[in-house]
Amino acid sequence: MTTAPRIRVVHVGGYATVQDLGRRGYRAVGVPVSGALDRLSAAYANALAGNRAGDAVLEVFGTISLALPGDAVVAVTGGQPRVFLDDVEVNPWTPVYCRQGSVLRVLPTGVGRARYIAVSGGVVCEKVLESASTYAKAGMGCLGRPLRPGDVLEVGGADPAEAWDRVADLKPPKELVSKHSRLGESLALRATEGVHAHLLEDLETLLRGYYVVAPESDRMGYRLEGEPLRSAGKLGRLPSIPTDRGYVQVPPDGRPIVLMSDAQTTGGYAVALHVIPPDVDLLAQLNPGQRVRFELVSLSEAENEVVKYLEELESPSLHREELEYWG
Amino acid sequence: MGGFSEPRIVRSGGYVVHVDVCEELSMECVGEMHKLYYLVKMGLAEAIDEVVPGVTSIAVFYDPRKIGGEKVASKIRELWWQRKSVELEDLHKPKRFTIPVVYGGDFGPDLAFVASWSKLAEEEVVRVHSSRVYRVITLGFTPGFVYMGEVDPAIAVPRLETPRTRIPRGSVGIAGKMTGIYGLESPGGWRLIGRTPLTMFDYRRDPPIPISPGDEVQFKPIGPEEFERLVGVFVGDYGS
Repeated sequence: MTTAPRIRVVHVGGYATVQDLGRRGYRAVGVPVSGALDRLSAAYANALAGNRAGDAVLEVFGTISLALPGDAVVAVTGGQPRVFLDDVEVNPWTPVYCRQGSVLRVLPTGVGRARYIAVSGGVVCEKVLESASTYAKAGMGCLGRPLRPGDVLEVGGADPAEAWDRVADLKPPKELVSKHSRLGESLALRATEGVHAHLLEDLETLLRGYYVVAPESDRMGYRLEGEPLRSAGKLGRLPSIPTDRGYVQVPPDGRPIVLMSDAQTTGGYAVALHVIPPDVDLLAQLNPGQRVRFELVSLSEAENEVVKYLEELESPSLHREELEYWG
Repeated sequence: MGGFSEPRIVRSGGYVVHVDVCEELSMECVGEMHKLYYLVKMGLAEAIDEVVPGVTSIAVFYDPRKIGGEKVASKIRELWWQRKSVELEDLHKPKRFTIPVVYGGDFGPDLAFVASWSKLAEEEVVRVHSSRVYRVITLGFTPGFVYMGEVDPAIAVPRLETPRTRIPRGSVGIAGKMTGIYGLESPGGWRLIGRTPLTMFDYRRDPPIPISPGDEVQFKPIGPEEFERLVGVFVGDYGS
């Protein structure tokens, strides 16, 4: 046994918070669900570090550098980040054994945007309403704010050697990793009709063209640029309805916003479409300037996809590394 | 009343069922929405993850591994017809909250606008706003934001064209037929007429806000000295 590791934040170039899979059951008092923007990647990071899917991880947009004062198993997921352990490049989507005193650096690439760093034992910090997810707007969860250099995070007491024995040769599904390696390309987002689809006579517009992720996209919502929905201007404001991640809201200016994890719990703008959860995860990985289009799916298809998604989220399907024969 | 005969039920995303009780806000509609909200909350508790009220609608979040959306929708329809034979009071006994408010000045920067819009003196606007007992419609938007109705038509001013980027917590505003309290500092477009010193939302408490849909709220005008004295008092601990 070595001393329990604590993570020290050495450098942050961007926006980094502690997240888990979200805060459930408090929407009726206006508390957003929050949690990882790309939940599957967060769950896989945990699984690869030997943790439970819902343990707290770091979510990083941009660059981060962490000092790990104790031995730990670490896994980094989300698109195709560049990961360095003491200046040696290591693979994302793979368990990595970090020795006491090592420094882990995660650098952005054009492929993917939200990176998840799981450390064996999981990040342990103040839970608010049963979740460690940081909701910075209300100063809630963990530190209640984005990470800064000098922050020290406690990690749960897992034996890193034991965790390593369990996960060292585990791999995530090939399709998932390859999906994440293609995130530099444009993305089709599967969606059902939204609550107000019947009020938007030019809904077709949204289904026809490409939309581009705007720079002002954050944990609350991803804004899209493209042909505006003119009918939204006539609708203006509707009585507020409960909203969720994946709802495609169209304000009177006609420019769609896909709500993300920190979105407000109710909204008065027309909801045109509802992007299904696995595709919200992928959208979260797109950088400003990348293209998306919407693809309408039936309610039964959506239900089937949600079932698969929830199962995978609860127990990510890892497999033993296949032996490769050469020559 | 015709609008309440059959709600519009919309399934969404493979895990949500929305029920639109009516298209426009009226307190009659809100009463029906509340009945349905509490009926679904109690009657479907085992099968669903969460039920969330809106202004004239509710959303039911379900786990499609446990129940299908079609089934959720048909159960909601059953409950909708059952609601005729129950009173809201039987489902949720309304609590009454008194909220002390300093009106006008820096506390309510739009009071002067509301007065000129309604052609009333500022004191008269305060009297009109604080003499009604409001019904809590829903909580939402940001943690602890309370939507209430219905505002006297004389002072039912439209919201701001351009929302403010930063509104102090405790601010009390009007937007059309609704009046509301900002539980936390946030951006927002409601016309601000006053501010309460009470802490409306405290995530260290469970529940973080004791106010529920269907409860009653009355505002009580106070002066700046009393405001200072009451800063930090939790809404659930304030007598009257």
